[in-house]
Order: sequence, then structure tokens, then C-alpha cells
Amino acid sequence: MANLKDIQRQIKSVSNTQKTTRAMKLVSTAKLRRAEELARRSRLYAAKMNQVIAEIAGRIKCNKVGGIDNRCFIDIENPKMIDIVFVTADKGLCGGFNIQTIKAVKKLIKEYKSKNVKVRLRGIGKKGVEFFKYNEVEMFDSVIDLSSKPDKERADEFIMTSIEDYKDGKIDGLHIIYNGFKNMMTQELHVSTILPVDTEQFECGDVQNSMLEIEAQDEEHMLDSLVNRYVEYAMYYALIDSVAAEHSARMQAMETATTNAKDMVKSLNIKFNKARQAAITTELIEIISGVESMK
Amino acid sequence: MDKLKLEILTPNGEIFNDDVVSVTLPGEEGEFGVLPHHASLSTLLEAGVIDIEKEDKSVESILINWGVVQVDEAKVIVLVEGAVAIRGDNESDIANALEDAKQLINDIADANPAIASVSAKIESAAQRLL
Repeated sequence: MANLKDIQRQIKSVSNTQKTTRAMKLVSTAKLRRAEELARRSRLYAAKMNQVIAEIAGRIKCNKVGGIDNRCFIDIENPKMIDIVFVTADKGLCGGFNIQTIKAVKKLIKEYKSKNVKVRLRGIGKKGVEFFKYNEVEMFDSVIDLSSKPDKERADEFIMTSIEDYKDGKIDGLHIIYNGFKNMMTQELHVSTILPVDTEQFECGDVQNSMLEIEAQDEEHMLDSLVNRYVEYAMYYALIDSVAAEHSARMQAMETATTNAKDMVKSLNIKFNKARQAAITTELIEIISGVESMK
Repeated sequence: MDKLKLEILTPNGEIFNDDVVSVTLPGEEGEFGVLPHHASLSTLLEAGVIDIEKEDKSVESILINWGVVQVDEAKVIVLVEGAVAIRGDNESDIANALEDAKQLINDIADANPAIASVSAKIESAAQRLL
């Protein structure tokens, strides 16, 4: 039977852990609320942005002979080089949040490798970056303090490299992989193709309204400018959505940890009581047998 | 009186959403005003100041660094990258907003040489409020 002192120490340590996990859960809950609010407000912008792009791209697609000739909207048949941008958290203790993203990245890399397409991996977030470094997977570049504090300007700067390389023809595709927020309990993994922009979604029907004529040249110039913002925004949104998801994942993980700690304290308490009882019994037996032997 | 609905959205949320009398926008090819029943159009905006004439005839100025606008007969939707509204209830609020605005201008000044006039514009917008 374990020593009484040992058990006591163990109980203390577990309940201290429980305190920590509970505090972490509360912190995450508060942060989640803020992150979610930010994501929600920002979604309005996303909806409008998509609408504007769809309208202009749709107009060019349907009115111009040959369709859109902006590289960002053309499907490239034999891609040679693909950019994969992933977003993970900077910190752990959030369940399978990071590993899910990492797995998806690995799967996508494998898929492209089997098709003989070169992959340029660009990482955001300490956890993922460390993982790939440890496993000696080559990375094009990485930033490690952007995912915990999403910042529009820095995100723009980061993704600009990919946009420019895409427009210059150095890369033929851009994917962003991140774990996004679905609801308080679940996260949703997003593997989205950012470039080339999918033109299938643009229809001609609803764009023929009473639009003032803009010269075709202008439209294309506009589209070019818009697509930059669109990609930049997609990157930024991935970051803020990922933060919200990270907090919800951590909240959940900490909730489970707290419950587990509680159960453990309970069973340790029982163990402690048993040990105490055993000690008392042994002591009693010693006294009684001592008395007996004196008779 | 005729009104039009104006919405200004940034990646961080909505900064203006109300009925207004008219709005002046810094279009890429020059400033243009929009009144109710304007013909539909969509175009890019460059760094500059959006002047909004509200229903009570007061004018609000919002500084932007890039944008795209969609105008139709009853509604104007502006999507901007970065924006600072020059407004506030007291002097220190306005001073803060002005500070933010100057910051934004500094950020874009390198990219755009025609920015000097914008700086003067927001100064006067702030003066009007004080």
C-alpha cells in the first residue's frame, strides 16, 4: 500500500493542475468570445467582396471574347509548383487542433508529390513550423508569431509573395490550410484553393442588370486589383478564423482536463482513505497483540 | 427628402451604415459625388477621404487607403482596406482619430505621391468638428 504522504502529495498536485486547467479554460472562453466576434464582423466584408468579384469577373467572362485572361482566373493544366500555406497555433494544449492541420498538409503534399508537382511549403504558427522542421520537411519560409495575433498588414505582406509569384508564373496554385471555427464544440478543417480563383461560380445571368458601362480595360484593371485584396483577405480571414477555432479547441481540451483531474482527485481520495484505514488497523493490531503478549 | 443607404465595410467590420443625403468618393479617376437615384456603377477608389452628408446636414469624413465601390439606385456599398472615421464627441476623441488618420496616411504615403492633399483635407475635417 502506498505511503500516506505520497498520496497526499499526489492529491495536492492534481488539484493544482485542475486549478490551472480551469483557469486556462476561463481565459480561452473570454478570448474565444472576442475572436468569434471579430470573425463574425469580418464575414460581412467577405460576402460583399465575393459579390463584387463575382459580378465583375462574371461580366468579363460573359461579355468578352475568350473570357478572362487574368492568370488568377485560369485553371492551369499542368501545374509545376504549388504553394501551400498552413496556419497552426503558436501554443499547444488544445487537443488535436494542430495535428489535424499538420495531417492535412502532409496528405496534400503527398498527393502533389505523387503527381510530380513541386510543393513550396509556407508555414504560419509555431507548432506546425516546429513539426515540419523536426521532421526535416523543407519549408520555403515561415512566421511564428502571426497566428496568435492576427494582423492585417503582416498577413498581407506574407501572402503578397505568393500572389506576386503566382502572377509572375513562378507558382501555379495556392492553397491555404487551416482549422476553422464551426461552433463552440467543433472545429472544421479548411483546405481551400485560393488561386486560381474558381470561375465556375460566376454566372452570367444576374450580372446583366443596369450596370453603367465601364470600359473593358478598366474592368480588367479593377479585377486585377480586386484579386489581390481577395487573396489577402482570404489569408487574413484564415488567421482570425483559426484563432477562434484554437480558443474553442483549447477551451474544450481544458474542460476535459479539468473533469479528468476531478475524477483523479476523487479516486486518489478513496485510495488515501483506504491507506489511512489500513494504517489504523495495523496500528490497532500492533497494540492489541502487544497487550496479548503481556498477558 | 431623398436618401440613399451607405454601407462602409472594412475587414474588421462595418464602420458606417446609415441613410445619407449624399456622399463624395475618391474615385481612381477623380472625385465623384453620389446622390440618390445615381446610375449603377462599380469602380475602384484610391486613398482619400469619403465625405458623407448626413440627414441632419452634418458632414462626416472617413479616410480610406483603398477601396471598391458599388453604386446602385438606392444603395452605395464601399469596401475598404483600412479606414479611419474622423469623428468623436469631445476634443480628445477627435484628436485621437486625427492621430490614427495621420498614421494611416503615413503608411500609404510611400505608395502614393498624390497623398499630400488628403492630409490637408482631414485636418480641415477635424477643424470643422472642433
